[in-house]
Amino acid sequence: MSTAEFEETATATLDAELGQRSPDAKIEMESRELSVWFGSRKVLEGVSIKFPSNSVTALIGPSGCGKSTYIRTLNRLHELIPGAALAGEVLYEGEDIYAPEIDPVSIRLKIGMVFQKPNPFPSMTIRGNVLSGLKLSGMKRPNHDDIVEETLTAAGLWKEVKDRLDHAAGELSGGQAQRLVIARALAVQPRVLLMDEPCSALDPASTLKVEDTIAELSKSMTIIIVTHNMQQAVRVSDTTAFFLAAENEPGHVVEQGPTTEIFSNPQDERTLDYVNGRFG
Amino acid sequence: MSQHTITYEHSGVRLEEIKKQSPLRPWANRTAKFKLVTALAALIPLLIIAVVYAFTEIPGAIVVVVIYLPMQIISAVIAALLVGGKNAAPDAVIIVLAIGATMLSIIIVASILFTIIIKGFEALSLSFLTQNNEYISPPTPLGYGGIAHALLGTVLIVGIAMVISVPIGIATAVYITEVKGKGANAVRFFVQAESGVPSVVAGLFILTVFILSGAITQSAFAGALAYFILMLPTVARTSEEVLKLIPDDLRTGALALGSTRAKTVMRVVLPAARTGIITATILGIARVMGETAPLLLTALTNDRTIWNPFGDPIASLPTFIFFNVSLPFPSAVSRAWGAALVLMALVSIVFTAARYFGTRKFAKS
Ligand SMILES: Nc1ncnc2c1ncn2[C@@H]1O[C@H](COP(=O)(O)OP(=O)(O)O)[C@@H](O)[C@H]1O
Ligand SMILES: [Mg+2]
Repeated sequence: MSTAEFEETATATLDAELGQRSPDAKIEMESRELSVWFGSRKVLEGVSIKFPSNSVTALIGPSGCGKSTYIRTLNRLHELIPGAALAGEVLYEGEDIYAPEIDPVSIRLKIGMVFQKPNPFPSMTIRGNVLSGLKLSGMKRPNHDDIVEETLTAAGLWKEVKDRLDHAAGELSGGQAQRLVIARALAVQPRVLLMDEPCSALDPASTLKVEDTIAELSKSMTIIIVTHNMQQAVRVSDTTAFFLAAENEPGHVVEQGPTTEIFSNPQDERTLDYVNGRFG
Repeated sequence: MSQHTITYEHSGVRLEEIKKQSPLRPWANRTAKFKLVTALAALIPLLIIAVVYAFTEIPGAIVVVVIYLPMQIISAVIAALLVGGKNAAPDAVIIVLAIGATMLSIIIVASILFTIIIKGFEALSLSFLTQNNEYISPPTPLGYGGIAHALLGTVLIVGIAMVISVPIGIATAVYITEVKGKGANAVRFFVQAESGVPSVVAGLFILTVFILSGAITQSAFAGALAYFILMLPTVARTSEEVLKLIPDDLRTGALALGSTRAKTVMRVVLPAARTGIITATILGIARVMGETAPLLLTALTNDRTIWNPFGDPIASLPTFIFFNVSLPFPSAVSRAWGAALVLMALVSIVFTAARYFGTRKFAKS
């Protein structure tokens, strides 16, 4: 069987698998044979992943294998780095987000992002932070008070801050700040939320709160999360993709599939070693 | 093969295809409409002002500022609305203003440079750089006499000022940011105030307090003291900004290893800030290099070459230019332009060095 056929069968199998999970699983986003460069250095090669609607996908793998780079190509942040380049396709609702007539701003509105380090805007209040996306993008939504309450509730922060919405965001703890930026990302109603190690700077209690938030959000949006925490991947995600880069080689996806399979029954020995904490 | 997971082995037919992919920058690809509209938006205003300039008597500067700039902004906004929607319009205005402001400063700098090079080049020769003015008088034709004595004077005065102000400036910055002593705010305030001291006042201060009192004579050292007053705030404040950028993690990291505060500053903080502090020094030098007024009061000038910084009045490039440019002899004016060219070259060397050290990363074990 040729590799192309293999790919096809395998993809079909995965689709069938996802189909079982939720019958109308449509593919919200996908990358096809995506390769990425910084200058002349290729850091990712041939990454093809499908992200079904309203699912949580965990991207795991050792540091430096290109996970952050990968998710930054999904909402066109990669191109902000001088010398950046790519090949292959990124599709959102079946359309190439890198097509020349596509406005990157509209892509970033639909595909929000939460970063590793909480980055609330220090000069704004808590409320101002939540609404900042609307101001910065010029998006018009009525009932700002409701938006603030809704998104902060969704991010699991409402109870803690409802009495001090007009205080500076700088007084929040790290975990609270991270949930604030999640609320901020939600206020512009993205369809997809990219999260790059959102809990790596947080304490266990805050981490669990963020995980609850992810579970709640995934009922209505597609989430792609990079994590170094294996238990977290198991707890929050439906599917998992394992990235790996050999020394001085571009990173690629070694194995992907339903999270339970990747962790309990990995097909590749390197996946087995990684999920059991034997390297990385 | 598993029923569930895809293992993607990097081998076989698809992989060869993937390996052959070439890097693309799709975000740099513009639609034909975009290219056409932006080209028109740039060309139409230019064509209009070309016509206005050719067929009316309106002066060029007014054509550019009053007619061209607003027209270019309007055409950029229209173009942005056509290709990018209403969100793109503010970007277009900012881009036009930014490019306009950049062009303006480039034109100003370029015309200054151009004038100095054209006028200064006439005087330039090897003897101009190696001789002094001891055996010539202002009307002596070019080809005899030079500015070596003034160049040496500038180097001596700036060098001494640097040797005094850099350690004091860094110490001041360390006091404000690292020691955080009780007086830190007061010190910061006075340094700030000092940066507002007019250069002629700095010269006057040295003249009355040190020279007229008989403590020192008019000399390179006296000039350096006046320069020191001007350099110190630049060095101290730039160093302070640089030290503030050093993350606190580094300090606490060193303290947690049992380091004393002094060692933390000397071994960790200052080395981490090294490129920034070199930049601070160079900015301080650039600040004073062309200052004329303080030297007129403290160092005066001289036709001979003076090596002793504590002895006699000494020439420097700015005072040389000052005295020669006002003389009624074409050769003297030419020498002044030549000296201006050399001074500009010196300043450019200093700034190039600042850029070089400012962007280079040093590491030491
Ligand atoms: N801005 C950049 N310029 C050049 N190389 C980069 C840049 N960002 C990341 N890289 C390189 O790309 C590779 C992947 O990095 P990254 O995506 O951050 O990995 P991960 O998130 O999996 O730890 C690394 O080898 C890194 O050195
Ligand atoms: Mg990363």
